[in-house]
Amino acid sequence: MSRQRTMEAILASEFVTIGELARLTATRYSTLKFYTEEGMLPFEQAEENLTRRYRREETVERISWIKQLRSEGMSVPEIKTKLMEES
Amino acid sequence: MAEFTDFSLAQRFSMIALNAQRSNMMTTVKKISLRAMAAAVILEVYLDGGLTGAKGKIQPATRTGENTPNGEAAYREMILDGVRLKARGRQHDLFWWLKHASSLSKRKLARFELVMAKTLSDLGALEEIPNLLGCDMYYESAGLSIKEYRCPIDEYTRMTEGFRAEILEEGQVSDDAICLLWLLRESGCLPDLFSRNELDLVAARMNELDPSNSLAHTLFPIQIYRGWEFAIKHVLRMKKTFIRTSVGTGMLFLFPLLDRTQAVFIETEAWFSNSKQRLEAVKERLEAQGHVFTVLKDGEIPTIKIDNLVYEAVPHFVTVRIPIQGVRLLPKRPI
Repeated sequence: MSRQRTMEAILASEFVTIGELARLTATRYSTLKFYTEEGMLPFEQAEENLTRRYRREETVERISWIKQLRSEGMSVPEIKTKLMEES
Repeated sequence: MAEFTDFSLAQRFSMIALNAQRSNMMTTVKKISLRAMAAAVILEVYLDGGLTGAKGKIQPATRTGENTPNGEAAYREMILDGVRLKARGRQHDLFWWLKHASSLSKRKLARFELVMAKTLSDLGALEEIPNLLGCDMYYESAGLSIKEYRCPIDEYTRMTEGFRAEILEEGQVSDDAICLLWLLRESGCLPDLFSRNELDLVAARMNELDPSNSLAHTLFPIQIYRGWEFAIKHVLRMKKTFIRTSVGTGMLFLFPLLDRTQAVFIETEAWFSNSKQRLEAVKERLEAQGHVFTVLKDGEIPTIKIDNLVYEAVPHFVTVRIPIQGVRLLPKRPI
């Protein structure tokens, strides 16, 4: 049987799935998917049809940063530009 | 960093199934939810290895609720004791256990609801607030008190969005998600979480899982719902589908009495008030009744999130002795 990972296991692992990111950050799946497709959330993927894996700490930090900028009134393209400049 | 709680399968499903349901009344929709919640308890015990047996026939192990960190013991024993009596010591397959757990009497289901609600409320995962219908002009002015359950918004988002991602994304699906998917299907809650287009993907996912996953293969053909209860719910859903248009107007405007729980009317004090003033009136009424209110989209027909559900606030008037201008809240699902 494959059980859902506990929060303890998720918080101890280096990589997480998009579903686990949603659980960690209380962010909508569609939002995370959109950010990923816009290149705002880097991920690793072994093969095309395999699960995308995100670096937990960096990605959670980035999501909360994006959320903060959004709450300050910044648009997604502006945040994207800011991310590009910083990286 | 927020504190995280690992809720059990039955607790997670109950949080979804009870959310926005009336707490002090046994409605048909809630009865269907409770039946599925009882089945969720059986699945939870099954996944935790608490049902033992051979050749597909199982029975509960002697102790199923020991060392449960989140108070699962109380509701597990309650459901298992009820079904054990019917088993008379014999071993049965999973279908039998699910069917009998979901067919418990109305009285037992009501007791089970109290136990589950208390467990969740002790964990801070469920609260009782005034029902949205209580904000309706007629109910508010009559001083009626109707209560409903609400799952905390952050926790609800974590759980439902994590599940949605697991189902809609490529990759492995956990047994917990397979059970949750089946429970949501059996309780008719799937359209609460997935849009129409997504439901097609969910159906494809289920078809893909059925032959490749043994739990899905066992579980998906099982149906536990009771025909007449489901028929009632289905009719309500069909009606809701029928009234859905691009601006959220439809039959409910003409016959609001048909489904008042879904169409709350809030009167505004000023005649011909603009959309901002109308929204302000809605905000005041909702917040006075303890609801959490967020504007998702401004405009002539704003989209607003009330607790965990999304509504459209459509300008409307009712005629009593004089016409009363106001706002009709229409559900817009899924978020």
